[in-house]
Amino acid sequence: MNDPKKTIEVKVERTIPAPLAEVFDAWLNPKVPGNPWNMAEKLLLNPHVDGFFYWKIKDTPHYGRFTEVERPARIEHTWMSPSTSGLESTVTLTFEKQGEDTRMTLVHSGLPDTDGGRSHDKGWNYFLDLFPKQFADASRMEK
Amino acid sequence: MDQLTDVLTAISHPTRRAIIGQLANGPARFLDVAKPFDTALNAVTKHLKLLERAGLIERRKQGREVIISFRGEPLREVAGWVHEYERFWNERLDKFEQYFNEKKQNNEKKEKKR
Repeated sequence: MNDPKKTIEVKVERTIPAPLAEVFDAWLNPKVPGNPWNMAEKLLLNPHVDGFFYWKIKDTPHYGRFTEVERPARIEHTWMSPSTSGLESTVTLTFEKQGEDTRMTLVHSGLPDTDGGRSHDKGWNYFLDLFPKQFADASRMEK
Repeated sequence: MDQLTDVLTAISHPTRRAIIGQLANGPARFLDVAKPFDTALNAVTKHLKLLERAGLIERRKQGREVIISFRGEPLREVAGWVHEYERFWNERLDKFEQYFNEKKQNNEKKEKKR
């Protein structure tokens, strides 16, 4: 067993071809594909400091509380799900101007480093899904 | 080296991934494994050694032939190494970026029409 007190951090960055405020607003708009709210089966979202969200996907509830909402530069909220073992993890988004585009950085910290978090079975399927594409690429390279 | 490093090394080369892809359909003779590749037989042998070291393939003798089969178990370790949320946020942000790319392309098309 891994030590449930040990936490890890996930960091993901993208450059989005749109101005800061547009990207910021799109992230909080459930109608825009790609933000987490868009894929909800049931959603209650109040994106203001001390506002809560309830987000259900595949019958799994997720909860959180917004701690910082500074348009258009920064959003921070907590995130609780079965994968966080009942602990409050933190999701921080920062938006920076990069020419005409927006550099977006998402950090999900305080994630318990447990087998649940690492989710072996899902990871397995993910890899199997990835492989056919890699094989196709590989066969092209060989020819 | 640890097994995770061995597995990551093994799947880092397109030829070795193609070999895994081929063997995932079922065990094969050495010459059949080597057939689709333009590389020399000893290059294929080297690839197979790396796959064997990672525990991704097994060789057994059947008469004169060497039969090679795929073992998927070590890939679980690699899968576990990728955190659920790393995958989740990457997938989300890919879609988010794609939405804006398509929006930009559509706007550019509209501009051209004017």
